[in-house]
Amino acid sequence: MLSLLWIQAGACSGDSMALLSAESPDLLQALEALHIEILWHPSLSTVSLAFVAEPILAGERPLNILVIEGAILTGPDGTGMFDTFQGKPRKDFVLNLCEQADVIVAVGTCAAFGGIPAAHPNPTDAVGMQFLREELEGGLLEAGWRSKKGLPVINLSGCPVHPNTVLQTLAFVATGAKLELDHLHRPAEFYETLVHQGCTRNEYHEYDVEETRLGTAGCMFFNLGCQGPRTIATCNAILWNGQSSKTRAGVPCFGCTSPSFPRPEDLFVTEKLGSVPTRLPLGVDRAAYMSYKGLAAAAVPLRLTNRKTKF
Amino acid sequence: MNKTLTLDMNRVEGDLQVKVSVADGVVQDAWMLGTMFRGFEQIMLGRAPMDALVITPRICGICGTGHLYAAVSALETALQIPSAPNGTRVRNICLMAEEIQSDARHAFLMFTIDLCHKRYANMDGYSQIVEAFEAFRGRIYRATVVQTKKLLEIVALFGGQWPHSSYMIPGGVATLGNRRAIVKSLSIVDAYTQWYEREVLGCSLDRWLAIQSEDDLFAWLDEKSEHRNSAFGLFLGFAKRIGLEKLGRGNGNLLSYGVYFDPEGFQPPYRDRVCLRPGGFYDAETQTIQPFSQEHVAEHVKYSHFEGEDKGTHPSCGKTIPLFQKGGNKYSWAKAPRYRDQVVETGCLAELYMAGDPLAQSLFQKGGATVFTRQICRFHRPALSLVAIRNMLIALEKRFLDSFYEPPKEGLDGDGDGVGLVHAARGALGHWVGFRAGRITRYQVISPTSWNASPRDSYGRRGHWEQSLIGTPIQDESDPIELGHVIRSHDACLVCAVHFLESGRKYSYVV
Repeated sequence: MLSLLWIQAGACSGDSMALLSAESPDLLQALEALHIEILWHPSLSTVSLAFVAEPILAGERPLNILVIEGAILTGPDGTGMFDTFQGKPRKDFVLNLCEQADVIVAVGTCAAFGGIPAAHPNPTDAVGMQFLREELEGGLLEAGWRSKKGLPVINLSGCPVHPNTVLQTLAFVATGAKLELDHLHRPAEFYETLVHQGCTRNEYHEYDVEETRLGTAGCMFFNLGCQGPRTIATCNAILWNGQSSKTRAGVPCFGCTSPSFPRPEDLFVTEKLGSVPTRLPLGVDRAAYMSYKGLAAAAVPLRLTNRKTKF
Repeated sequence: MNKTLTLDMNRVEGDLQVKVSVADGVVQDAWMLGTMFRGFEQIMLGRAPMDALVITPRICGICGTGHLYAAVSALETALQIPSAPNGTRVRNICLMAEEIQSDARHAFLMFTIDLCHKRYANMDGYSQIVEAFEAFRGRIYRATVVQTKKLLEIVALFGGQWPHSSYMIPGGVATLGNRRAIVKSLSIVDAYTQWYEREVLGCSLDRWLAIQSEDDLFAWLDEKSEHRNSAFGLFLGFAKRIGLEKLGRGNGNLLSYGVYFDPEGFQPPYRDRVCLRPGGFYDAETQTIQPFSQEHVAEHVKYSHFEGEDKGTHPSCGKTIPLFQKGGNKYSWAKAPRYRDQVVETGCLAELYMAGDPLAQSLFQKGGATVFTRQICRFHRPALSLVAIRNMLIALEKRFLDSFYEPPKEGLDGDGDGVGLVHAARGALGHWVGFRAGRITRYQVISPTSWNASPRDSYGRRGHWEQSLIGTPIQDESDPIELGHVIRSHDACLVCAVHFLESGRKYSYVV
């Protein structure tokens, strides 16, 4: 059996709630199949955390997987007293647990990069486990920190992270399969798809049919703040709750797997340079993109102009 | 000789430390310590009003739909933006789906597992309780994990995903009308209803909804073995045996804002809160229901880690600057909201009582607000809501060709002050917003658990849980399960008991 301890710091519980909605296998099936025993989870356990943590901290009970959900709140003035456990800063409790863990998984954008609590002006001095937003610096743990198994903190970003990503990452850990991590320490297996891929509106993007208001069928990238072509996540490849995704439902992608989430600009508005977004789809050249867009607009079929193609 | 017990409470969705003083095996006094502060409001300041639809649902991963509904309603009331009736229908459908799943997850993943505690091992029916409710292994526990997530597919069909989407927008919903989503949602509701009837109630919804009083309820229990052996039947019999009707009585004041706006009726000027389940304030002293008005809400901070005066302040003008002190009076990161200057309880019982539900009213009148009454309501509400969500889906299908979204005539780049009030699964939830020249200048949230888990107020009056714990018998001081019953009967959600910063100051810190 592998032991797993799940700690929430500055969290909303959304990653845990999403995990309870995991499809196939569901959470209970997956834990059994992978021989993972949850020593403690804040929403599910009947025993107290202190009771479970004591032998782990004393080095008397092995801790195979430590999962952290939520940002680490280091304020005020570095004391960590914005988030306490048994009257003491939770950040210190988490640090002590880190020393005992074989593998550490930061679940959700808050634990990975700081997330919403770390957004300007970061009133609680929130940080991620090993990152502060894009930087491998300023997190709870130093850049060179490695767990007992020699791994940095594995970041599973997303607000929330897709439950499939959590369970499959645990499967990689449990089976010993190699996890390649990207420059943000996310497992590449789950972070190499754009939200734009599989978006049911992307034909509108192809032919430059860009909406100026919500509640419409077309593409939301040019005017409504959609980050789909710039955001690495499986939302439209794996879908949510087995059914849909935000962009399919007419909600712009807000880039919630990105370390910069939430971005400082207005979230329902696209910043533009002239008539074209300041930030183009990932890796795209501006001049080439503009000439492609001109050609594409000329080729638009009537069914798209008339918004006849709908999800 | 008083002894102080300090407990870190789990299964309350967030962080709560409960401190009680005990003498002769009975709780003499209690303090609720909210132990976490995330500062969401400071993050909202200076942002576009629409950003509230993305950021505030993320206050809580459990009732994000409630937060989104409150946030969009606050923007609509600020600028008197009409909402497309189909938009309101979709909002109601999604909030109902969240509520029904939340009630089951709360009942079976958070509450009934405590009945499997070894304390009760010698009670009649214990083995059946464990077989059904044990954490991770119990039959009903496991079925709850499988069934509840299906209801959330309804939210995904209309809103893209659960949790944390932003499909409710001023004027309606972003989702295009689509009959597939309606038809599929109906089949999800029907399948869940079948499970609820077969496993949870042991009878049809029709039979269940014929129960109008506590006497009817116990007559129903005696009627058939199917009733007694259902999840609810097991709970009901066992709950009486272990005395849950004696635990957790508050002062009897109840508060509900009302929920599920009438699609046609709740429109500008947004003065009358026309709801499917109307709200109100039950005043225990006069034993009357009074109309609810948000002007009577005030928050106190004397015993909370915030700067402020020693009096209540309305959420639209309160100053809330964190002030962490070691020692001294202040002991919680939760503030102390009061209604008409009184300590109140909010939640499922309050919602059903104010909505005129006969069973909730009968249980409350006979037994008061206890662990027993609250928990029965949490089994009862899904039966009402499964009917309501079905009706709402059918109404949406009938008016399918009507608009789901009416673009607001005026942008949100001007000035406005709005209030969004809903009743989330856990109780009264309010968002108060102000913006100037299209930038948020204040944002205040009072969550259900802020009401229930409140610390003492300016006059030193204890919060609802603090009051409710006094007098609780503690059989084993090393394992006071009774306290867990009381707190969890409110479906606690501490991550929601957020505290908002108002001024440009970051924080101040006093050692």
